[in-house]
Amino acid sequence: MAAIETNGLHKRYGGDILALDGIDLHVEEGEVFGFLGPNGAGKSTTINILLDFVRPTEGSATVLGMDAQADSQSIRQRTGVLPEGYQVYDRLTGRQHVQFVIDSKDVTADPDALLERVGIPEAGDRTAGGYSKGMKQRLTLAMALVGQPDLLILDEPSTGLDPAGAREIREIVTEEADRGATVFFSSHILEQVEAVCDRVGILRAGELVAVDSIEGLREAAGDGATLRVELATVTDNAIEIVEGVPGVTDVTQRDGGLTVSVGDGSKTAVLSALEDAGHEVTDFRTEETSLEEIFMSYTEGSR
Amino acid sequence: MPAAPEPRGMVAIDLTDVTKTYGGVTALQGVDLTVESGEVFGFLGPNGAGKSTTIDILLDHARPTAGQARVLGMDAQSETVAVRERTGVLPERFGPLGEMTGRQHVEFTIEAKDANDDPDAIMERTGIAHAADRPASGYSKGMTQRLMLGMALVDDPDLLILDEPTTGLDPNGARQMREIVHEEADRGATVFFSSHILEQVEAVCDRVGILDQGTLVAVDSIDGLREAAGTTGEMAVTLDAIPEGLIADIEAIDGVSSARTDGDSVIAGCENPAKGEVVRVTQQAGATVENIETSEASLEDLFAAYTGGA
Amino acid sequence: MSTLAVAKKDFQDALRSRALWGLSVLFILLSLFIAYAFAEFTTEMGIEEQTAEGLAYFLASQIGLFVSVTAIVIAYKAIAGERESGSIKILLSLPHTRRDVLLGKVLGRSATLAVPTLIGLAAGAALGSVLMGEFAVVALGALLAMSLLFVVTYISIVVGLSALTGSTSRASMLTIGYFLVFEFLWGAVSFGVVWLMNGFSLPSEMPNWVFLVNQVPPSAAFTTGLTALMPGDIPAATDPDFQAFYATPWLGLVILAFWLVVPLAIGYWRFSKADI
Repeated sequence: MAAIETNGLHKRYGGDILALDGIDLHVEEGEVFGFLGPNGAGKSTTINILLDFVRPTEGSATVLGMDAQADSQSIRQRTGVLPEGYQVYDRLTGRQHVQFVIDSKDVTADPDALLERVGIPEAGDRTAGGYSKGMKQRLTLAMALVGQPDLLILDEPSTGLDPAGAREIREIVTEEADRGATVFFSSHILEQVEAVCDRVGILRAGELVAVDSIEGLREAAGDGATLRVELATVTDNAIEIVEGVPGVTDVTQRDGGLTVSVGDGSKTAVLSALEDAGHEVTDFRTEETSLEEIFMSYTEGSR
Repeated sequence: MPAAPEPRGMVAIDLTDVTKTYGGVTALQGVDLTVESGEVFGFLGPNGAGKSTTIDILLDHARPTAGQARVLGMDAQSETVAVRERTGVLPERFGPLGEMTGRQHVEFTIEAKDANDDPDAIMERTGIAHAADRPASGYSKGMTQRLMLGMALVDDPDLLILDEPTTGLDPNGARQMREIVHEEADRGATVFFSSHILEQVEAVCDRVGILDQGTLVAVDSIDGLREAAGTTGEMAVTLDAIPEGLIADIEAIDGVSSARTDGDSVIAGCENPAKGEVVRVTQQAGATVENIETSEASLEDLFAAYTGGA
Repeated sequence: MSTLAVAKKDFQDALRSRALWGLSVLFILLSLFIAYAFAEFTTEMGIEEQTAEGLAYFLASQIGLFVSVTAIVIAYKAIAGERESGSIKILLSLPHTRRDVLLGKVLGRSATLAVPTLIGLAAGAALGSVLMGEFAVVALGALLAMSLLFVVTYISIVVGLSALTGSTSRASMLTIGYFLVFEFLWGAVSFGVVWLMNGFSLPSEMPNWVFLVNQVPPSAAFTTGLTALMPGDIPAATDPDFQAFYATPWLGLVILAFWLVVPLAIGYWRFSKADI
């Protein structure tokens, strides 16, 4: 069964601003799905429709098999959310926040254990108004985890967290996925997405321009891999030899080495050809197309 | 101890044994830091490590309990105004912006610095020219960040202090921010850049400093940090079939610290010069190499190694 | 359940508001002072007879202003403020319907305002009763019950207005505007209505239906309704010849019921359709 399914989702604000232009999205149950796109591409609008914060102009959405508008309350009973642009209640303590979610969902859970899990066990008795941005983010995550939800919707969860905090969030996402939960995860920090997501969707100007695994996106981007070879001495002969290797599309000389664009499979051939010709390879490394480059290739020119 | 007079323009930031305590809490403990003029310096550390306190001291928002801070060759405390005239700042936290338009915000900074920049050119550069006439209170987080960057760029400052500049920016915005940092560095400005997003730091910084619990635990280039932390890279060699005894042969190579199989691949942890040997040994064993991938220790691993995180 | 969870959170939140504590202490002190003045300076204040019912009316006369102003202070942001700051996203990420949220807000903030109001009235009544040596359970019970209804009604009006918008500045304009028109300036409005109905001139004698118009403000309806619940003779609100179906103090309760339901219903209608 699909955890999230949208059909031809359109959203127009105030008659003339088109936020979503026909989104067909399908997220499998148990999947960790990364939702990417530039600011203003429609990520938040999509999430807001899933939660019935806003209503689609056209099209429909189902979450956990239920209609996002008609069955919104049942959906939210089984969903944990870390919304974007939220605000905590400054005058309530951390424990009261978590207890409020427990009361709202009518489940049993230990607020202190949840605060411990997100790394702020000491903050239970303090009012959230005095929390740092990172602590507020952790508190909101603890609230999302209440009651072992079937679906977690995390909108920019690592905003304001230091690298250790971002790593903890990733660990929690992985734990939740292992438990069987579906995680729908939006982020601007592509390395975070790459580290946890099974598949990603890229949104651009209200349209879903790509949905695939990151590997799949790399292949579709089709640049092949880049090989960086450090040589004891770079000669024109070395460049000629490399250019002669089948599958090599480009060779450039830079800082005592060569940067070679190769298709998969011929990297060894490049190294062997150089060594066979008597060149001393002091070091080499491979570089894959970065997720940032893939992101740019799909979203460039969107503003 | 009177500080030795320093030639102007050589050292952008010079902290000597700076300690700062708030009440009984030590925020900074004997920090010595020198940032050369023209350098792009990344300033890293977990939340609460003292990064903001350090920046506050540079800008005289906080006074050191002990030690001395010099910025652009001037004393951070006694020559604050002169320091600020030549420094552009993108602060980490700022209050809500008022009803003034984006352009008025930039004009205000231009007047304050007595500069003659064109506000529209600046807003064009940071990518918010289309919103120049709208009240800044209605800007999104990313637009606010771009506006604040524009204000920091006014009057071509000699030193740019950017505290978490990519917060709230999408990947396109983060890339533009990096491009601007490069342009400013090319112009000769020093850029002091704090961030939690290590990939951004790696992409722009000449050197980084890592602060942990008020102490500067490392200052080096990222390559230098990699070497010093002794973290080796990893290479994965994908084969048609894995011959018997290959793992033992690879492990015997000088500079290889570990070897294991993963499906059709051999994963070897090794130092850079040993990589070629690994490929040769593999081929000699009679296997056909289908693919090779190498990876270096990630900056996150380095960060964790220095700060004792997760 | 859902409504109660929202109400409980809201109540906890409000309990930490310094403004509320300040106003509450002020109101309790005022009630004690009024009771003391009623009991000790009866003749100086021109009061004919010192009775427990009289004390109840005297205390009630002070509530109108306290409840209306405090209700606006503590509730004008109830929905608009949460929408503006984004905390509504936390509320509505949980399994609450928008109706639960609205009703929970009314309950939570009503409890918040009811506590100091009832404590203040009870303290004043107790002090007055001790000083006068006379204790009237029914009159004071009527006062407390009516005050509770008045508190819930006022909170409901303000929450309803707050639900019309996502901006706190607009919510404050709406609620303050309501207060100005329906409480502060209603006398003038009432005159204006008569002037209009009489062909742009004032009649020599006010028509009977002015009584109806005058009961429209919640605080007027509260005072009128209180007389319906009070034991003993109902003081004549109108001229004895005046006979109309609405010439009864029970009208106050009807009008309060209108205010309790209608603004909240309109607010709910708008809020349920809004994109937040």
